[in-house]
Amino acid sequence: MSSYEWQFTILFQYWPIFLRGALTTLEITFAATALGLLIGLPVGVLRQARSRWVRLPVSVYVESIRATPALVQIVWIYYCFPILFGLQMSAEVTMIVALGIHTGAYVAEIVRAGINAVDRGQFAAAKSIGMSSLLALRRIILPQAGQKMIPPFINEFANIMKLSTLGSTIAVYELLQESNNLIATIYRPLEIYTFLALVFFLITYPWILLSQRFEARLQRRA
Amino acid sequence: MLSVKHLSKSYGNLVILKDISVEIGANEVVAVIGPSGSGKSTLLKCLNFLEPYDGGEVRFEGTLVGYREHSAGKHLAKEKVTNLLRARIGMVFQNFNLFPHMSVIENLLEGPVQVLGENRAEVEHRAQALLLKVGLQDKAHARPSTLSGGQQQRAAIARALAMRPRLMLFDEPTSALDPELVGEVLSIIAQLATEGMPMVIVTHEMSFAREVASRVIFMEGGEIVEEGPPEKIFRQPDNLRTQQFLSRVLH
Repeated sequence: MSSYEWQFTILFQYWPIFLRGALTTLEITFAATALGLLIGLPVGVLRQARSRWVRLPVSVYVESIRATPALVQIVWIYYCFPILFGLQMSAEVTMIVALGIHTGAYVAEIVRAGINAVDRGQFAAAKSIGMSSLLALRRIILPQAGQKMIPPFINEFANIMKLSTLGSTIAVYELLQESNNLIATIYRPLEIYTFLALVFFLITYPWILLSQRFEARLQRRA
Repeated sequence: MLSVKHLSKSYGNLVILKDISVEIGANEVVAVIGPSGSGKSTLLKCLNFLEPYDGGEVRFEGTLVGYREHSAGKHLAKEKVTNLLRARIGMVFQNFNLFPHMSVIENLLEGPVQVLGENRAEVEHRAQALLLKVGLQDKAHARPSTLSGGQQQRAAIARALAMRPRLMLFDEPTSALDPELVGEVLSIIAQLATEGMPMVIVTHEMSFAREVASRVIFMEGGEIVEEGPPEKIFRQPDNLRTQQFLSRVLH
């Protein structure tokens, strides 16, 4: 063991900085999740569409997002969007949009898996009483699939929380960026990074626990 | 009521149904029997287009099922038109397929309220009466998963009847049931038959087919081998394949 002298007490006076960072992290997480759900729910449903012309574009979206790193997506949107589309967004909004688009693909996969997990007979029964595909989806399939989707949704939420640290690469003042700035001022990287890890654990782990609780409850019911 | 002409269906090279023709009149109870894989369930599902067919035609009360009549070839009918037809034809499945996230009575209300747009309070009245008829009046608010297989199938029959269908299709309604629960389901189907509900029943219950059906169709290898009144089919079938099948299942 090295004889490093830990000095955590020094961090206490900087608590507003961590609080500010945590608030930005949460803001990005919640907003990106909302956007991800908004994109992912219809995309997941459309991936099952009968028409190839509907399936093709949504599949291209999902697969290209899943096959590229989130960090590349973020910098791409940050640097290329303004040039290609003349769309200038603040770093934080960029982060929300990028993570939202990123998560949308994963949410879509969760939705697709959830729908596929519903017994085929349910669709046949819905059709047999004259339901349209859309009505069957809304009244019969999605309510059953929805339950199965809750645990992976929560996991995805915890994922975004961790991915939000990528915002530091485009100077978004979330937890990691704030920590880096603080290190530049007080030269205490060990304490600060350790504390940062602890903060992330504290705000992420409860969600993972919650997801496990949901999963256990679903298994008991099945 | 229902007219099937030269119906055929195949998956790639695998022929499931070949050249099926049959007429089903009002008040008729038709039992379809035959070995597994003979295409009888597929035939039943073609009747309400849950399974699309390739060749020939199915007509329900004169309307072509699943397709649109067209001078130049055949086009799928609008989904709306097919849905409307399905709403008039009740179907009961081997595995019940009740909606597990709804109570029994909600299962009955779903079609009439959501599909037919009927008044909920009125349908509820009818649904209660149907539950009484199938002996489930005290299970109205139970979840399907808490019911026995026999109760679930009776609820499924009530769900189909709640739509006030003109024709009922039964796809091996007792095959997934424990032997001691078969009777309660069959007696309800028999009661419906005596009330004059036209129906097509795919079944392995030979004695039931014999008692309830006005006509029996024997299928094998995707085609109708023989059909006739039950006394004829079960006592003196003309066809050797029918004789062989019956001697296998009856002894």
